[in-house]
Amino acid sequence: MSKKEILSGNQSIARGFYEAGGGVATAYPGSPTVEVIETMKEYHEDIYSEFSMNEKVALEVGIGACYGGLRTMVTMKHVGVNICMDPLMSFTQSPVDAGFMLVTGDDPGMASSQNEQDNRILGKFANMPIFDPSDSQDAKDFVIKGLELSEEYKTPVMLRITSRICHARSTVELGEREEHMGPKFEPDPSKYCMLPPHTFKHQYTMKERIEKLQERANDLEINKLEEKGSDVLVITSGICYYNFKEVCPDVDVFKLGMVYPLPIDKIKKLSEKYSKIIVIEEMMPFIENELKLHGIDCVGKEFFSFTGELHSEVIEEGLVKLGVIKERQLKDTSKDDTTARGPLFCAGCPHRPVFDILKKAKVNVIGDIGCYTMGLLYPWEVLNANISMGSSLGIIKGMRLAMDKQGDDQKPIVGVIGDGTFFHSGLPGFANLKYQLTGEENITMIVLDNATTAMTGGQPTGESYHMDNMGQDMSVEDIIRTMGYDDIQRVDQFNYKEAKKAIVDATKRKGVSVIITTRPCALRYKIKETPFEVDPSICIGCKTCIKTNCPPLRMKKYEGFDKEKSSIDPNQCVGCGICAQVCPVGAIKRKKESK
Amino acid sequence: MVNTNIILAGVGGQGLVMTTKIIAEAAYLSGLDVKTNDVVGLSQRGGKVWGSVRLGEKVFSPNVRPGEVDILLGFEALEGRRFRKELKKDSSVAIVNKYQMVPTLVQQGKEEYATDIEEELNKYAGKLIYEDFTQKAVELGNKAAANIVLLGACSVYVKDIPEEKWVESIVKSVPPKFVELNKEAFALGRKLAK
Repeated sequence: MSKKEILSGNQSIARGFYEAGGGVATAYPGSPTVEVIETMKEYHEDIYSEFSMNEKVALEVGIGACYGGLRTMVTMKHVGVNICMDPLMSFTQSPVDAGFMLVTGDDPGMASSQNEQDNRILGKFANMPIFDPSDSQDAKDFVIKGLELSEEYKTPVMLRITSRICHARSTVELGEREEHMGPKFEPDPSKYCMLPPHTFKHQYTMKERIEKLQERANDLEINKLEEKGSDVLVITSGICYYNFKEVCPDVDVFKLGMVYPLPIDKIKKLSEKYSKIIVIEEMMPFIENELKLHGIDCVGKEFFSFTGELHSEVIEEGLVKLGVIKERQLKDTSKDDTTARGPLFCAGCPHRPVFDILKKAKVNVIGDIGCYTMGLLYPWEVLNANISMGSSLGIIKGMRLAMDKQGDDQKPIVGVIGDGTFFHSGLPGFANLKYQLTGEENITMIVLDNATTAMTGGQPTGESYHMDNMGQDMSVEDIIRTMGYDDIQRVDQFNYKEAKKAIVDATKRKGVSVIITTRPCALRYKIKETPFEVDPSICIGCKTCIKTNCPPLRMKKYEGFDKEKSSIDPNQCVGCGICAQVCPVGAIKRKKESK
Repeated sequence: MVNTNIILAGVGGQGLVMTTKIIAEAAYLSGLDVKTNDVVGLSQRGGKVWGSVRLGEKVFSPNVRPGEVDILLGFEALEGRRFRKELKKDSSVAIVNKYQMVPTLVQQGKEEYATDIEEELNKYAGKLIYEDFTQKAVELGNKAAANIVLLGACSVYVKDIPEEKWVESIVKSVPPKFVELNKEAFALGRKLAK
């Protein structure tokens, strides 16, 4: 009997790569795909894997491994592909000999992303075939199939997954690893050097291989037609397939495993048989537009939402409008009338005192991407701009120039960036900030160095190796100093008063001042010290501690006191002591060790 | 066989993903088809998180359709309340932790923490088990075991999974040094639910 396991989509992708004889896997961590490379560590004897410093580098390491003859996988979240788009667009011109797969995690509904871009568009743009799995078994199978087709057609391929597939679990049949070794690297500029005149012929190479794959799509086994005898045909892929099956199991459906290029000939033939073709897909009308481009009459987006996830109830609604389903069985998702609960900085998070200081300082703060992006949420509402990773450095420079020109040259401006983001794409931003200024402009950059990529679950950064004592020191401070910055201060933000003075003073100085905060991530380094408690007889109920938004804090009624006083849930407090330091009357003290 | 639909709701960091895994594994060990769905990412930082498990003969989507929840596992009181309208009328069970974690809006005095949780859950659930599972876990020696006490209570209402498969799944899923604690937590949960 074959062995089965329950795996998430992400775990299945790693497993598929292992079974396919994969050699090198690289990534930059980003929800929803983080777990792929984390799982890959289980196969470290066979597969080299790394979280690279950013997606561009991850792709480039992957390109090298692939050119060198190893089956290669590179994973990232959807916006990560934007970061590696430059090498990607040229790389896909190469006729590759070893299988290459780019995994991109799209996020319909933006569960944890800044936008909802549909990377099928980028896949087509880069001339890559695209696979779109519907559950964990598909995810594993498509990795193996995708790598096979990659080699057969000498093309890099894309596995497009969505958050739902990444995190859903279902049973997966496990297979054995089949070792796989491609040819050794043989220098051949026409294959590997993307410069005219070599690139001219590759325009034809790319076109031809997509055409061949379009032909092959017609009998590709992962494109499955299920016939139930209906007069309409639904074409779909991904999670939409199963959500559709939930509400409408008895309609003919063409489940696409490869969504680009499409089995155009087959669908053309089918369209003669059916009264209507209905496309169900999340986000952009990608399949729909492809069909229409080829003159195939179909309906789609006008009946289904252009944004968010297409849950069963959304699909049902569209099918009722289309007359495929007579009446609705599912009620609309009820309106949430319970108090909202947004994310917040963890208990003991080293970002908390910094944002408390910035809020009180009432300065213009430019944000970046990481846990500290939550500084834009209530009750902080400190960040005034937030675009993409590493962008704080460019934005702060441009805005400084604008402020100065508008007569606001006395107003401070502060940027925040984490160490993960610093290494990801902050380095060129720092370099650019340094040169081309007069040296008179007042800019303060705070590097929130918590020694980890915290938002995605604590993957290492250049600084973590230092923290973890792995002997590979790469210090943010040394790097910035080498760039020519001299106004640099290291600050312990758990020493609240000193940190406050350092930050506020820096915002008043001319030139670029850099503050590096040094406390590590409470979650990644599992920090837990003796909790603090409130003495209600001293507490004046002023809520200064409450304003720090630390999760264990709340106001409550104590027996014998009329007014509500602050309290600390000992189950949640990790003992950072920031609340005690902001308390104006000394009502918060560390608990006596109870033994 | 009709599918059993379970929703887990709580706050980031409470161990929902782990619990989802244990239920899925127990279902699989019992020969059932199973699909789960976790919402993770940004919400792990103290935000609302939820997941679903569907088990039975054949499961298509990992998502539970609205109004079709058989069992609601509320890891935190307010989060249990949030999903009450998703419950199947009359036949459903809500197992909700009385333990409170205050959302920012309540902490900052902008909104009140709901005082009608028990009453509201009773309106929608066929049966309600409303206990401070966190306190029970603290008494056992580790507040982190609250999810397994809840799971024990849940196990009583999943007829298709025998008790020993639950235990087998827990043993497979938790670190060895916590096995005994978790077995105790599970047994306590079963007792509370009966």
